[in-house]
Amino acid sequence: MSLTELRPASHRPAPPPKKVKTRSWLYRFDNKTIPYVFISPFFILFGIFGVFPLVFNGIVAVRNWRLDDPTLTGWAGFANFERLLSDEDFWNALGNTFGIFILSTVPQLLLALIIANLLNRKLRGNTFWRIGILLPYLTPVVASTLVFAIFFARDNGMANWFLSLVGFGEETPLDWRAQKWSAWIAIATMVNWKWIGYNALLYLSAMQAIPKDVYEAAAVDGAGAWRQLWRITVPMIQPVVVFTVILSTIGGLQLFNEPMMFDENPQSASGGSAHQFQTIAQLIYKVGWKDLDLGYAAAMSWALFLIILIVAGVNTLLTRRIGGDR
Amino acid sequence: MRRTLSAVAAGLAATLVIAGCSGRDLESSNETEGGSGEQVTLKVAFWGDMGLDKLKADYEKAHPNVKIVLNTGEFNAQHEDLQKKLVAGTGAPDISAVDEGFIVQFRNQSDKFVNLLDKGAGEFESKYLDWKWKASMSADGKQIGLGTDVGGLAMCYRSDLFKAAGLPTDREQVSKLWTNWDQFIEVGKQYVAKTGKKFVDSGTNMFNPVLAQQPVGFYDDQEQLQMNGGPKVAFDVSMKAIDAGISANLASFQPNWNQGFKKDQFAVLACPAWMLGHIQETAPDQKGKWDIAAIPGGGGNWGGSWWTVPSQGKNIDAATDFVKWMVQPEQQIEVFKTVGNLPSQPDLYKDPAVLDYKKEFMSNAPTGQIFAATAANLKPQYLGKKNGPTRVAVENVITRVQQGGLKSDAAWAEAVKQAEKVAKTGKA
Repeated sequence: MSLTELRPASHRPAPPPKKVKTRSWLYRFDNKTIPYVFISPFFILFGIFGVFPLVFNGIVAVRNWRLDDPTLTGWAGFANFERLLSDEDFWNALGNTFGIFILSTVPQLLLALIIANLLNRKLRGNTFWRIGILLPYLTPVVASTLVFAIFFARDNGMANWFLSLVGFGEETPLDWRAQKWSAWIAIATMVNWKWIGYNALLYLSAMQAIPKDVYEAAAVDGAGAWRQLWRITVPMIQPVVVFTVILSTIGGLQLFNEPMMFDENPQSASGGSAHQFQTIAQLIYKVGWKDLDLGYAAAMSWALFLIILIVAGVNTLLTRRIGGDR
Repeated sequence: MRRTLSAVAAGLAATLVIAGCSGRDLESSNETEGGSGEQVTLKVAFWGDMGLDKLKADYEKAHPNVKIVLNTGEFNAQHEDLQKKLVAGTGAPDISAVDEGFIVQFRNQSDKFVNLLDKGAGEFESKYLDWKWKASMSADGKQIGLGTDVGGLAMCYRSDLFKAAGLPTDREQVSKLWTNWDQFIEVGKQYVAKTGKKFVDSGTNMFNPVLAQQPVGFYDDQEQLQMNGGPKVAFDVSMKAIDAGISANLASFQPNWNQGFKKDQFAVLACPAWMLGHIQETAPDQKGKWDIAAIPGGGGNWGGSWWTVPSQGKNIDAATDFVKWMVQPEQQIEVFKTVGNLPSQPDLYKDPAVLDYKKEFMSNAPTGQIFAATAANLKPQYLGKKNGPTRVAVENVITRVQQGGLKSDAAWAEAVKQAEKVAKTGKA
């Protein structure tokens, strides 16, 4: 049964041949094949729900597939992709996605790092704080986004109430959904609120593994807390930082729920009256299920897939540079 | 979804939740329970309240072997869900309501629905408003749906707010205040000047009824976009209303709009018959404060739906029977009394049960008379294949003007541009 059993070294005399063939066959099967059987469920499921849709999506992307025009079928070749390049909606959505992505990911990871650093000290009620920062992550995103949508309402919204306290917009309250900048900030706020605690916990768990004497040595050499954070902590937890950057990139570029629920009319999926905050994922949904153009939507998803690959790669390289020995 | 691990966990949780409320638990109820004949369960999908609760009880009593499961959901979501299930080829409800904004989309996929003419629905043709019957016919002459209601058009107003603003509150007199939309906007200005509150809910809810009154909507029957006809007229009215400062600029049917009812943010609301149920649902405590007057600019139609039977179902015959039963006069009148939806069969407009009906919630307004009159003399409008997305595109432009991101004099050019963009997509 043991999988760690070493095979006999070759210079030893071979064991006498087994009398019973089947026994050895069983034994070999047990050792060689069973591990694959044990790991197969994931790969089978992944094949059905991961690989197949991906491949099928690729096929749809190079076909004409309109639900409102069933007569229009057949291969489109790369027509769908060519359309993408000249589609201003797509570029607008790309811009929004990146804008919101930068506004949400950068502050999110920085704040998470600082919070994790604070939590890494001896505090009273340590567990309470650690659980506390994870609470936003446990909130269902639709519920929290709905609350935020009301928070950022034009009339009687709490955000505008805060602004009015400092004397802003008492005459004409700010319509958060009307302008690109305000809508982006509002959506980025929702994303940050949800993910800061999650990332902070990841960082914290990595920080716990850093030996204390490193810090003590640094303190003796006269490094302050800020310097310790950037010169010791960050390089030491670098693998986790890379991990969170990749995940944030994937998540940030696939942003869908927040802009969707933030819209005054979520069902139109238009991401604002002039698509101020329509993300790519939203646009894919709109093209597929509102405009009923599945072929084009599939082409967009492939484009998004490639964009995520590239951006995640670039981010990884950049993150590797950070905290490397300079 | 974001992090793989949590995604898997959340995915698992989600599947559990979805499985819990997707009606899957309802499919197991197909065993016979001592009833006669084959037990069937019919799933009916619709939105809002279509007054089916009593119909369901009556029908189940008369047909002990039929069990009806009602599934109400959000308007757009229900249509999208139906579309997805049709593509998937499985999972669609046995019977689905389809609204006028979507009927063209589904009519073009008539092979996915039961042709009700094959099931003997042809005999109903003479009973229906001619245009209502035709709107659900596919190009090759298949009938995919039987009409339930039409919208008609009237103007609901808050008599208590009118009184406070020194305006008349009597139906007749209010109707005389505004024989056309310009007069309506003038009344709005008076109201705003007097009270400091806004008069209408949104520019889009001005645009839609005015558009519904035009002989030609976004598209003519050749599927050509006709922005300079009806849409231009309606757009100008909505711009005028926004510029006059009488609009509360709330996005209709959204949470803020619902809040607007309670906070008295507007005093009038363009009212197709189905809007009455909406008002009742949103502001139940405003019973007796609403009343109904004629709409400026004459009759028109906004909304209305059909019952369709997707052909992938297992119980097509039972489903068709139930649909045929639902559109019979008694049931249609029953629905009219419960929620206010106006039937699409002109004979019923002369039926005393409809004509003498007074809606208590709306200050005992004779809704039967009001809406029957608007429905009887309306000129139906052809709705193009892309009517829905085009409407959204133009509504978005109106919203941009309301948000101050666009000047009203530049808005029309933008609206045309956006509408043309929608019209162009997917033309091979």
